[in-house]
Amino acid sequence: MADKFCMVVSEGSFDKAMMPLIMGNTAASMGMEVHVFYTFFGLKLLKKGNRPKLPGFMRFFTGMMEKKMRKLNVPGIEEMTKQARELGVHFYACSTSMALMGIKESDLAEGTKVLGASAFLNLAADSKMTLFIG
Amino acid sequence: MRGNGNTVGEISLQKDATLDAKGLMCPMPIVQLAKKMKELKSGQILELLADDVGAKEDVPAWCSRTGNQLVGTEEEGKIFKFYIRVK
Repeated sequence: MADKFCMVVSEGSFDKAMMPLIMGNTAASMGMEVHVFYTFFGLKLLKKGNRPKLPGFMRFFTGMMEKKMRKLNVPGIEEMTKQARELGVHFYACSTSMALMGIKESDLAEGTKVLGASAFLNLAADSKMTLFIG
Repeated sequence: MRGNGNTVGEISLQKDATLDAKGLMCPMPIVQLAKKMKELKSGQILELLADDVGAKEDVPAWCSRTGNQLVGTEEEGKIFKFYIRVK
């Protein structure tokens, strides 16, 4: 059975969107089973058509960062998300955060599963490693 | 230089396929490598070309994690060449 790798994402900024995607795509390519749980501000990363910005004052420079990434051939959020889904990375939305943030299941990107903390912890308890990104 | 007493020159002659990942940044060389390896048969040798400096450590780590054998590596200027035998 493949090793399980879990991540919790609690912030919704551009960098916090990228990190689980880079880790998730890499881990899936290394033969691991990847589960990513989005909670609190991280949840908005799962919203359809969401375009996250860099944190705080840096938000004004998000476009510059994206431009630089394209120049360096670093894949963007959209491409990495597509890739992750192809590789079978599991994306979960925290049910309580959905209520707190006023996000409906129909607002979430295709293929997202809604979970509570207990179901995620059940996965994390069996995983080789769990990272908190927030 | 790694390998089984073979020189990289000999190994490169035995290669069955080449994956050119030059210009791709982490994690794309590894993602592409994992995809390509699935297309090959057990025992075949893949030549991987990359210029992401992270690849130097990432490719051996990927090989040891997935159980595929890294039979040779070579650096040519800024380009890393890896020869990987499919498990």
